[in-house]
Amino acid sequence: MKTRPYQICTHCVMDTSDPEIVFDSAGVCNHCHDFEHHQKPQLIGGSAGAVALDAIVTQIKEQGKGQEYDCIIGISGGVDSSYVAYRVLELGLRPLAVHVDTGWNSELAVSNIEKIVSALGIDLHTTVIDWEEMRDLQLAFLRSGVANCDVPQDHTFVAVLFKLAARKSIRWIISGHNLQTESILPEAWGYTSIDRKHLRSIHNLYGSRPLRTFPTYSLFDYTFYWPFVKRNKILKMLNFEDYNKQSAKQFLIERFGWRDYGGKHYESRFTKFFQSYYLPKKFGFDKRRAHLASLVVSGQLSREAALSELELPPYNEAEAAEDCSFVAKKLGINKSELESIIAASPKTYRDYPSNADLIDRLLRVKAKLARLLRSDK
Amino acid sequence: MPSDSFNPFRVIPVLLLEEGRLVKTIRFSKPSYVGDLINSVRIFNEKEVDELAILDIGASKRGLSPNFDLIKDVTNECFMPLAYGGGISDANQVRKLVEMGVEKVIINSAAMARPALVSEAAKEVGSQSVVVSIDIKKTLFGGYQARSVSGTKKVAAASLQALVKDFVEAGAGEILLNNIDRDGTLLGYDHALLKQVCTVASVPVISCGGAADVADLGKAVAQSGASACAAGALFTFRGPHRAVLLSYPKPAEVNEALRTSSIP
Repeated sequence: MKTRPYQICTHCVMDTSDPEIVFDSAGVCNHCHDFEHHQKPQLIGGSAGAVALDAIVTQIKEQGKGQEYDCIIGISGGVDSSYVAYRVLELGLRPLAVHVDTGWNSELAVSNIEKIVSALGIDLHTTVIDWEEMRDLQLAFLRSGVANCDVPQDHTFVAVLFKLAARKSIRWIISGHNLQTESILPEAWGYTSIDRKHLRSIHNLYGSRPLRTFPTYSLFDYTFYWPFVKRNKILKMLNFEDYNKQSAKQFLIERFGWRDYGGKHYESRFTKFFQSYYLPKKFGFDKRRAHLASLVVSGQLSREAALSELELPPYNEAEAAEDCSFVAKKLGINKSELESIIAASPKTYRDYPSNADLIDRLLRVKAKLARLLRSDK
Repeated sequence: MPSDSFNPFRVIPVLLLEEGRLVKTIRFSKPSYVGDLINSVRIFNEKEVDELAILDIGASKRGLSPNFDLIKDVTNECFMPLAYGGGISDANQVRKLVEMGVEKVIINSAAMARPALVSEAAKEVGSQSVVVSIDIKKTLFGGYQARSVSGTKKVAAASLQALVKDFVEAGAGEILLNNIDRDGTLLGYDHALLKQVCTVASVPVISCGGAADVADLGKAVAQSGASACAAGALFTFRGPHRAVLLSYPKPAEVNEALRTSSIP
């Protein structure tokens, strides 16, 4: 790898730990420009956001008439999905909450889910992923040396949600993704989780048992079958309000006795290990940087506060050691094997078969198709 | 006045294993997969449960010994008292389990076939560590029939009460009364059955099978004479879709349930 001099964006906190980062003459990075031009326009807060959201909510209610549920919400116990659950009820929707148990739930995650669904009276569905298959696939990803080892959880989560939507004829999936807090994520830090070919090729090389029940989906499902045949729609509702993570947390704590779990996505014990230890240690990627940068560009955090938070180490040694032994034990390997996996030289997704080029083209076609269909109306 | 920071009686989640997989049954059949054992143990650990029971429901049926490797993994992870049952057929296994950190061994099929095993086990590790599980099924005529080998085999006994007395005499420190007809149904404990057994047992009786809610646990202790309450489905599932979500009541709820049930 060629080394480049260290540089940090003068506006957010992204730096050259993203190997593909580009700066303009004022030292502002491509992520900031991208946010300003492509993502910020999708953020409609205030009264305009409320009006736009109201129109969509009316449509969801209309289309869900006579059905047991009019929408699906994913629920992980984290702040975004918990807050969405609350807001969806407030808007008078009738959601089915779906939880995907990949075997890595923390106690905090399950108790947060319990608090939210019981206080709001939401019906819950859980899909439990077969742990032996999950373990095998997760281990295959770790052994492959690619950066995005959270592909198994991310991929199957989407598969479960859409398959359940199809089975129950529920059109709308309401997601907690939002541009206020997660707009920035360098592509170099991890390959997409939608590529089943990539998932399977890594599993074929490093896995040891067949994936018989593990829910997956194809590119065809994702780009064509779900959106155009099943006409599933995703609503990222938090983009329509002035969503602030800190105040959402505070609200959930006061209203539901919800508990904070520290870092982003730490409701999964694997994701905690993966983001706070594995990525920084093996690749030098510190996901906190992207999360904090997202908060800075959306104006929820000052650059100074983000920088001082980044001064803290991404993990605490004692906690990391405990996480490592738990992860090793769960995966059925000894600690030294996990250590050698971490020490092995990093690979990229390009070292394995994938549909990267096809995905690029398909997503462009899908966007074009969606635009055409919109202008038809 | 009992303190609301502790449960007034033991509340015991029950985890069922079949071929190393965590399952939950309905009436001892239709096992459905409910997730990973180690993670579930970890979650109950953090919920600070009074005691955890793990029953390997496939072991005796298949003539297997306890899976000691798996149990070792659990005892390493488990800070709460652990009771283990499934495939135990001799006193050596009992001693080995206790040495591994299992607090109590639960014996069913082998004790029904050879009651002397109970006294041998008690001699080895002490009565306080020996639990005899009695699985009960209602007969066509409304009586109660003890069964073994995962409910498949009828146990010959003069009566259920006589059976209980015999096991207590042999050295059982506790009786786990497991109701096959209610298992996994969330319909509530069979309190009539529970009373019958509790009146003759001079050792603690743990009620198991059918717990509907926390109030039902309180009732089992306050009105039916149980010393402790065990439940599987109640702490595993949530709501109309039987969504897997492990839970455990707060001591305040359990105390409240006991108080409410104690009012004459």
